[in-house]
This record gives sequence, C-alpha cells and structure tokens, in this order.
Amino acid sequence: MMQAADAESRGAAALEDGIEMCSVRVGQTLFGVPIMRILEILDAPAMRPVPLAPGYIGGLVHYRGEILTAVSLRRLLGLPPHTHPPDLLVFEAKDGEGRNGYFGLLVDAVGEVLTVSVEDFEANPSTLDDERKALFAGAYKLGGGLLVMLDPARFDPVQLSQSQLSQ
Amino acid sequence: MDDLIREFLIESQDGLDRMEQCLTELEDRPQDAGLLAEVFRSVHTIKGTTGFLGFLRLEALSHAGENLLGLLRDGKLQADDGIISALLELLDGLRAILQSIEESGGEGNASDDAEVIGRLRVLAEMPQGASAAAQTRETPAAEEQPIVHSGAAESTLRVDIGLLNRMMNLVGELVLTRNQILQAHNAEAGFAPLARRLDMVTADLREAVMKARMQPVSHVFSKFPRLVRDLSQQLGKQAKLELGGQETELDKSLLEAIKDPLTHSVRNAIDHGIEAPEVRRAAGKNPEGLLRLNARQQGSHVIVEVTDDGGGIRVERIRDKAIERRLITPQKAAQLSDRELLQLIFLPGFSTAEKVTNVSGRGVGMDVVRTNVERIGGKVEIDSRPGRGTTLRLSIPLTLAIIPALIVRSRGQNFALPQGVLFELVHLTGEQARSQIEWLENAPLYRLRGRLLPLVFLDRLLAQEDAAAGDGCYIAVLNADGRRYGLVIDGLADPEEIVVKPLSVVLKGIGLFSGATVMGNGEMALILDPGAIALRVGIGLSAEDEEPHATEDPSSASGSEFLLVEAGGEEAALPIEDILRIERIPRARVERIGQMPVLRVEGSLLTLEDRAGILSEPGDAEEQITVVVCRDGGRHVGITVSQVVDVASGTPLKYAGTAIAASEVTLLKERVTGVIDTRRIPELAEMVEAG
Repeated sequence: MMQAADAESRGAAALEDGIEMCSVRVGQTLFGVPIMRILEILDAPAMRPVPLAPGYIGGLVHYRGEILTAVSLRRLLGLPPHTHPPDLLVFEAKDGEGRNGYFGLLVDAVGEVLTVSVEDFEANPSTLDDERKALFAGAYKLGGGLLVMLDPARFDPVQLSQSQLSQ
Repeated sequence: MDDLIREFLIESQDGLDRMEQCLTELEDRPQDAGLLAEVFRSVHTIKGTTGFLGFLRLEALSHAGENLLGLLRDGKLQADDGIISALLELLDGLRAILQSIEESGGEGNASDDAEVIGRLRVLAEMPQGASAAAQTRETPAAEEQPIVHSGAAESTLRVDIGLLNRMMNLVGELVLTRNQILQAHNAEAGFAPLARRLDMVTADLREAVMKARMQPVSHVFSKFPRLVRDLSQQLGKQAKLELGGQETELDKSLLEAIKDPLTHSVRNAIDHGIEAPEVRRAAGKNPEGLLRLNARQQGSHVIVEVTDDGGGIRVERIRDKAIERRLITPQKAAQLSDRELLQLIFLPGFSTAEKVTNVSGRGVGMDVVRTNVERIGGKVEIDSRPGRGTTLRLSIPLTLAIIPALIVRSRGQNFALPQGVLFELVHLTGEQARSQIEWLENAPLYRLRGRLLPLVFLDRLLAQEDAAAGDGCYIAVLNADGRRYGLVIDGLADPEEIVVKPLSVVLKGIGLFSGATVMGNGEMALILDPGAIALRVGIGLSAEDEEPHATEDPSSASGSEFLLVEAGGEEAALPIEDILRIERIPRARVERIGQMPVLRVEGSLLTLEDRAGILSEPGDAEEQITVVVCRDGGRHVGITVSQVVDVASGTPLKYAGTAIAASEVTLLKERVTGVIDTRRIPELAEMVEAG
C-alpha cells in the first residue's frame, strides 16, 4: 500500500507533537480528516443529483462559481441513504493538466476538531476487507474508540472512478 | 519551462506573425521601406535573443535571413517573388524550431535548415545591382516605426486565459449573489439604493470581463493572405484577397474554433470557386479572381462571409450528386427550391470535386465546416449564382460561455436544452399523450404534420424513478447535426441565458450531458447534449429532413412561426419574430399610471396589455405572472398571458374567394387562431392623456 505509506509519512512529518483532525461521522463510525486539507465545510448544501452517475456520486454542489462533484462516503461504504441532508467537506483536486478544481465529500455530520498524536497511529489491520483498505488510511487509537483516518486524495471522483474500475 | 524562454517564445511568435503579414503585403509593394524594416526587425530580434539564450540552430537560421534582409532594407537588393518565397520558407523554419522548443525544450534536428540557409545565401550573393529607386530610399523609416509599437505595448497586458476564465466564473457567482440580494426584502432604510448600485456594478463588471475575452477577427484573418498566395500558386490560379471588418471582435475560444472551418472555406473557394485564369478570361472576367473575407456584428452574432467571384455552383449538379449518393430521393429533390438544394452540400459524404486535388475534395468537405460551426452554436449557409460566384456565410454567437437555453423538467429535475437545436415544441395533454403517441414494437413515434417523428422519453433514458410524472407532456422537436427526434419531457420552465460550467470527467463519461449550469434562481441544471442522446438511442441521420422548416413551410421567411399563448381561457397567437423574451414576474412589480398597467425594466417603462384581465383578478402580491415582451415597430410592449402553450408554424389563411390574406387570424395546429396585433396596444402617452 504505497498510498497508506505516503499518508503516514506526511502525517508524521507534519507535526511532532500532534496532528489536528476534523472528526466526521458516517453511520456509527468516527472518521478523521487532516484539517489542513479541508478548504471549507458546507452545512447541508443544496445538491443536484445526476442521473446515471456512478453510485458513489452524491450529486453536484454549487461552490464559488464552480460546480463541484460530491462523493458520498455513505454510499461508498454501502450504507443506506442519508436520512437528513449531509454536510460537505470541500477539497482541492488537481487534475492531470495541473489545473486546480474542487471536489467534495458528503458525510452525516461534522464534529469537533481533535488533536491526535503520531504514536497512536496504526495502519489498516490485515483482516479489513480490501474495499475498505482502499478507502481507509489507517486509524488513531483514541480514549473513547478508534478514529479512522481518511486521505482526501483517495476520494477525488476521478481517482475513485479508476480504482472502482480496477476492482 | 523557464519564464525567460516562455516570454521569448511568445514575443518571437508575435514577431513572426507580423513578419508573415508584412511579407504578403510586400508582394504588392516591394519598395515599401517600412515593411522591409519591420521584417528585418522581427528576424533581428530573434537572432539577438537566441544568442543570449543559447539556441544555436535558431541563431544560424535567423543570421542567414538577416543578411539577406539587410541587403533588402539598404536597397542593395530588390524583393522579388523568389526572395519572398525564400523568406516565407525562413519564416516556416523559424516557426518549426520555436514549436519544437515549446514542446520539447530542444531545437530539434539542425540538418533540416541547410537547404533554406543555402537558398538565402545564394539570393544574398546574387549580383543584382542596386537600382536608382532603391538608393533614394534612405529615409530612416525603420527608426520611427518602433515608437508606435511600444505605445501599444504599454497600454496592453498579457493575461493568462485560465485567469480570465476564473474571473468569468467569479463574476457569474457575483451575479447570482446579486440576484439573491435583490430578491431578499429588506426593510432597512438605504438598502434598496445599495442593492441597485450593486446591480449596476455587477452588470458593468460582467460586461468588462466578457470584453477582456474578446479579440478582433484580424487575429484569424491575418493568416489568410499567406494561405491564398500559396494555394493559388500551387493550383495555377490568380487570386486577390480582400479583408473587411477586421476590427470585429469575438470571444477568444470561438475565434479558435472558427479557424479551421474558415481555412477550409477559403481553400474551397480557391480550389473549386475561382476558375483558372484562361477560363476566366474566356468568360470575360478579370483573370485575377477576387476573394473577400468580411466580418460584421449583427445583434448577438458575428457574421463572417467568404465570397468569391468564381464559377459559382450549378444547382443541377448538386441535385444529381445528392440523388446519386442517395442523400435525397428524386421526388423530394423536385420539391426543393434552388436555395434549399444548395444547402445539400453540407450533408456528410457530399463532395462534388471532379478531380481529387491535394487541397480539397477528399470526401471531407462542407459537412466538416458545418459540424464545426454548429458545435459552437453557430449556423452556416451558402448562396451561389452560376458564373457569378459563391458566398458562404457563417453566423457565430458572440460568446461561448453563455448560451441561450430552454429549461425543461423531467420528474421534478431541471435540465437545460440548448436553443440552437430546438425547432419546435408540441404540448400534449394526458389524454392526447395516451392516444397520439404510437408504438411500433418498442419504438415510440409521434405524427408531426403527417410524418413520423421518433421519440425519446427523457425520464426513461435517465432511468429516473424518483418522482411520478405529471399528466400531459411536451415534445421538444430537436435537430442535432441532422439527427431529428422528439424529446419527451414533463414540463417547461423559462428560456434562460445560461453560463456553461464543465463537468467532472466521471460525469462526462455518462455521455449525455455536456455540462452543468447554475440558473438565475440559484438552482443547478444539467445541460443535455442532444447529439449524444441521438447517438445513444440510435437516431439516424435524416438527410431529407434538412431544413424541416424551409421545406414544410415555404412561407417561413415571411414570419409564420407563432407563439401560442392562453390568455383568459382563449388561445391566441403572437408572431415569434416580434417576441423579445418571456418574463415571469411577481404581481407586485406591476405598477399603474392612471388605468394603464406598466412595468419598470432596467430604467425604462414597459406598457402592459392586459387583454385577459389577469391583473384585475384577485391574487397574492408574490404570485408569479407571465409577460410576453414584444417588439412593435420601435417600441416594446408587454402582454400578460395565463400560460405559454406552444410554438407552431401557422398557415396563412385567405378570405374565401379572394386572394386577400387574413392578417388577424392564422391556421395553427389545424385550428383557426386569432393573432394579437401589437399595434392596437395604445401608446402610454395616449392613455395618460385620456385618463
């Protein structure tokens, strides 16, 4: 898992004493996204579904004059649809030609910012199924449970379309 | 790439563009010292900079050119055809190296240059005595010229096109925010004037950014003198090129998009249009053919015309060829007018070239021109008179970023349908839909004026199941690149000018949407790609249905397209050519002067005709009413209607036993329908006086 190793080394190199993670909840699981990577958090934005789109696409969201594609973490995890409007994390996407764009990740709810330390990090357990291994970047052991680390780059819709095809 | 090198490339390319223009002009005025000085300067600048940047191949080539140009500039040599050809080769050589540097960072293989350098040397050393006329040309015109150029350079600035696009997006965002602010009712004193000011500033800013993307068509036109020169030499013809309207401006991306179709048209005009000199002489014409490229703005379009005074197109040949290629049936051909027959040359696979030349006539022809122009929302037409010449007319929208579209609904979702492919709308009630949509096995069809139209149900195509379909539907009759079909949708919203936003690669992959847009009310809509939909469901090319309007409705030129509206329980027709726009406004916006209802629109007053009494009905101030804004001579008037029903072509009726056309009624969808006469709507001043 090259990507996991990358994320680990980045995380380790970033801060000695702690990494700030934005905690988000989907279903029963608590996930963490490095706060530095989040451009903006939108509270239940208006969304336009796209007919015939791949299942993991939640829809389109209007963001700063652009139209960004939002990926639904819930659908990626194979959970039933959202019961209330999801929140959106906005990330920067780099396409092959070096231009910058945006994409979004839909989550049930955005929680507080947690500071985690590198010592508490562990890679994905080998027993995790392959699909999940491709999505999760490892986990932090917190007092109250596990915080599953997400690497935003893996949720870029273009990336996802390629990894989903290969599966 | 190094910034220094990038700047060098851009500057050199500019210099070479100027050089090309000067060289072609030099043919007519070989004595012009200003032109020679300009060419010399371009090459000299490249040579100077390349030495510094270490591009040896460029240096060697430009050095050889500079020697020859120096002699020309000093009057020691006279520019003749041979010299100009050699200089053009030098130009091509320099361009090739610049391109190689841009693409790979290296100069490429130097051995290619030996021939050109050799030719330039031979020409420079040829004993050609300096003529007396040349010696008198010692005025230092060369030194005066640069001042003009540096003046222009100081007031302009290079801007990255990506940055401009970003600005355009942000302006679009600002427009939406402004709309929301204008809609928000805020009682705070001083808020209204502030909102109005924001409104004005936003409109101005949007216009300014759009302007920044505009470039004069001369950017594209300037390459044609060279093309015409090379082609006519190659084909043994004589042609003179005249350029007009070069200052006409067009969006940069559109300018790029018309480059190929225009080049193709110019090639065609010289290859097939202009005759050989001896043929022209025999026909009593000037042996030198005339090719005119002209651009002008007409409303929201730019018209580019390519006109030649050549042999013209014989309609019979077009017709025979089209029948021979089975593009049209003989029966159908007999019904077409000459003008309609001419348009057949735009059909795919049509080429009348008797001999295949390497310039044109390789089976790809005018259909490519049409496809390219239609892709950017433009139109193309051809006019020709045998023996007199041919005119090709391209009509291009001013900007690509904003296109007119009709917002349609399917199962509660909005979609934008580009107006360019929309030919007409047919409304069916639930009952009509059940009885008039016929099925042949699993293919739905509709009889449109006696002809079967294949139908595509948008909700089924998109596998939409979320919301139930309403009762009744609309059929949007589309013609996408010659594929004609009816798209069945649940409902219509207003036509809107939409800003096209690109979709993520993942969603483009679905293959039915060309982009997305944010509408005036802040909602998003996917833009349908009618051509891709036709391909997906396998709609074939319907060659015979080209110009469905012109063939089925010969009087369309006299304006017999009508908007069918319902006002006060009665249907009425409005001539479509008089209609400016359809607006939905809250009832509260209507004001009154005396008895006369009026609407304030962008600082001017619009008289409203309320024939159906819609405004006098009791209703909520926030309730939306529909106003059709029409042109009546020089003034604009608004007509309130209950709903817009359809667009249909009407058949003029004559009074029985006479040839007098009934102007106030028309036959629309098999029913006699009254035409609203906008002239009968009183002037505001009359009403105020009367009141």
